[in-house]
Amino acid sequence: MLNIKNLETIIDNKHILKGLNLNIKPGEVHAIMGPNGSGKSTLANVLSGKNGYITKGDIQFNGERLNDISTEERAQKGIFLAFQYPLEIPGVNTNIFLKTSLNAVRKAKGEKELDTLTFLKLIKEKASELGIDEKFLSRQFNVGFSGGEKKKNEILQMKLLEPTLSILDETDSGLDIDALKIVADGVNSYKNKDNAFLIITHYQRLLDYIKPDFIHVLSNGKIVKTGDANLGLQLEKTGYTSLS
Amino acid sequence: MQQFYDFKINKIKNLSSEEKILRKKNLELFYLNGFPSKKDEDWKFTDLNFILGQNFTNIVNTELIPDEKPFNPINEFEHNFIYLVNGKLISKNFDHEEKDKILISNFDYKNEIILYRENTLNFLNNALAKDGFSLEISKNYKFKKPLVIYNYFSNSLKETIVNNKNLIILNENSELTLINFVDNNSKENFIINTIDDIKLKKNSSLKSIFINNSKNNAYFYKYLKNDLEKNSNLENYILSSGLKLNKFDIEVNHNAEYSSSNIFSALNLSNYEHQEIKTLINHNTPNCQSYQKIKNVLNNESKGVFQGKIFVKNIAQKTDAYQLSRALILDDKAEFNAKPELEIYADDVKCSHGSTSGSIDLESIHYLKSRGIPEKEAYQMLINGFLCEVLEKLNENNLKKFLLKKLESQIHGY
Repeated sequence: MLNIKNLETIIDNKHILKGLNLNIKPGEVHAIMGPNGSGKSTLANVLSGKNGYITKGDIQFNGERLNDISTEERAQKGIFLAFQYPLEIPGVNTNIFLKTSLNAVRKAKGEKELDTLTFLKLIKEKASELGIDEKFLSRQFNVGFSGGEKKKNEILQMKLLEPTLSILDETDSGLDIDALKIVADGVNSYKNKDNAFLIITHYQRLLDYIKPDFIHVLSNGKIVKTGDANLGLQLEKTGYTSLS
Repeated sequence: MQQFYDFKINKIKNLSSEEKILRKKNLELFYLNGFPSKKDEDWKFTDLNFILGQNFTNIVNTELIPDEKPFNPINEFEHNFIYLVNGKLISKNFDHEEKDKILISNFDYKNEIILYRENTLNFLNNALAKDGFSLEISKNYKFKKPLVIYNYFSNSLKETIVNNKNLIILNENSELTLINFVDNNSKENFIINTIDDIKLKKNSSLKSIFINNSKNNAYFYKYLKNDLEKNSNLENYILSSGLKLNKFDIEVNHNAEYSSSNIFSALNLSNYEHQEIKTLINHNTPNCQSYQKIKNVLNNESKGVFQGKIFVKNIAQKTDAYQLSRALILDDKAEFNAKPELEIYADDVKCSHGSTSGSIDLESIHYLKSRGIPEKEAYQMLINGFLCEVLEKLNENNLKKFLLKKLESQIHGY
């Protein structure tokens, strides 16, 4: 599904990723761990198509070169990034934002756009699965939401847009244990043989709930070690310094 | 610069000799300085003399008799209406109300000699004004439905100036929602110079909304004088995008305790539009509140101006006054000028102001795009959100929906 070959990125004259290789197949859950400043969030940003990065190397998504495709097209093709710091959009009603987003993706896929009633029914259903209070949906997007509510809102969008590749950038940070479980349940219930996850995290904590097939350790812009779910537990004990 | 205007009192019919003398005097006062220019502090960002000189060759006061045309009524909410053509009262409908509680008539120039002397445009208005209306609401009467003022303009106003005066009186405990709806498809260049005199008696409440519904080549100047008595409440909403030039000169006088005033404005300016909102909030007595929120989005070669002054008299203790101006500048050629002023002579007051201008937040654009929303739509969504926030306080649902729709069409282009 996702094939990254020798990816290098430079932003503001800083060389962040220095030849990263990664292959993700449908049905797999990959976790990327690593110390601060190793390039984890840069990878997430580059995959989402954020401006400002100079990239070298090749990113293929379902056989298509992704490098020069705009952010919105990537989203329409099924790449979803759950932001580490979800933004507040003042003045924009959550329902209207989510409906616009869903219909933009549906339209690009050649599916029929949803009318308001059908949309509201769908979003209420998805929100209740995540324990999100309906009243949040009629408020301004993320404005005044707590950190946990914002993160849940990211997972709500994931479940709504039904991406094939979901990238979770430190979705666990700022979550209490109950919210963490809800988020993990949200991911686990969405997971199937056709979609895949790339989970970026500092800690083993989230991986206790979402079991990864592979764990990669990113250090100084490169993947320095790859292992199975046990690697996370091991890192928890020894820290990253033992690998560098 | 060659003089580009020629105004004559004798074009106005049926004037008494006293009126003629008074009007001539005012016209002389106007001719002393002509249209205001940037040398005038109140006009330093809107050099009207220069702008008019660039866009007009010979402005005259119109002799035109307004033509009665059918108009397109608003269907989104039930309302009363009055219909004005070039400011002249053509028809009215108060079917939703108790008619004996409402007095409506042509503005009475013979008996209501109201002279304004704030600037030369006021002199010009005093000299040339005709038409306009007077509206008075009886004590204790609360309007059941909003009142829409349909403002239409003749197609043949090219190179003319129309001057009107209107008078609105809300007596004790009365309530009104007023919608000034300007619809003008004429592409001709013309000037409207209006003075609205608004009197809010004890415990009365007025919501006054200004909407422009089409892109046009009109030059508007409106002087709004609001006198607030005890415990009265004024709410202004300004959605005037689409006019070639527009200046609202708003004076609010808090003349008795516990009165409150709110001015909200949301403008999306494009293609050489130039709009200014100038406010003067006079806190003349204690315990009054004033609030201003001015938002501008500037595209292409447009220009926005906000000059806001809060004046607090020495006896006006416990004044609570707030002013905020925010501008989004989307083009290098666009310009926004803000001049906030606080003049405070009382010591126990809460007064603050803020002014920011900047470009659109690219992180937010990226976020919206990452949700599949195309870039152009993402921009519109953020602009929409930025401006719509101004209507947050409005609680009439159908009216709010209507205004949001109008605002959206002002953003997306008519």
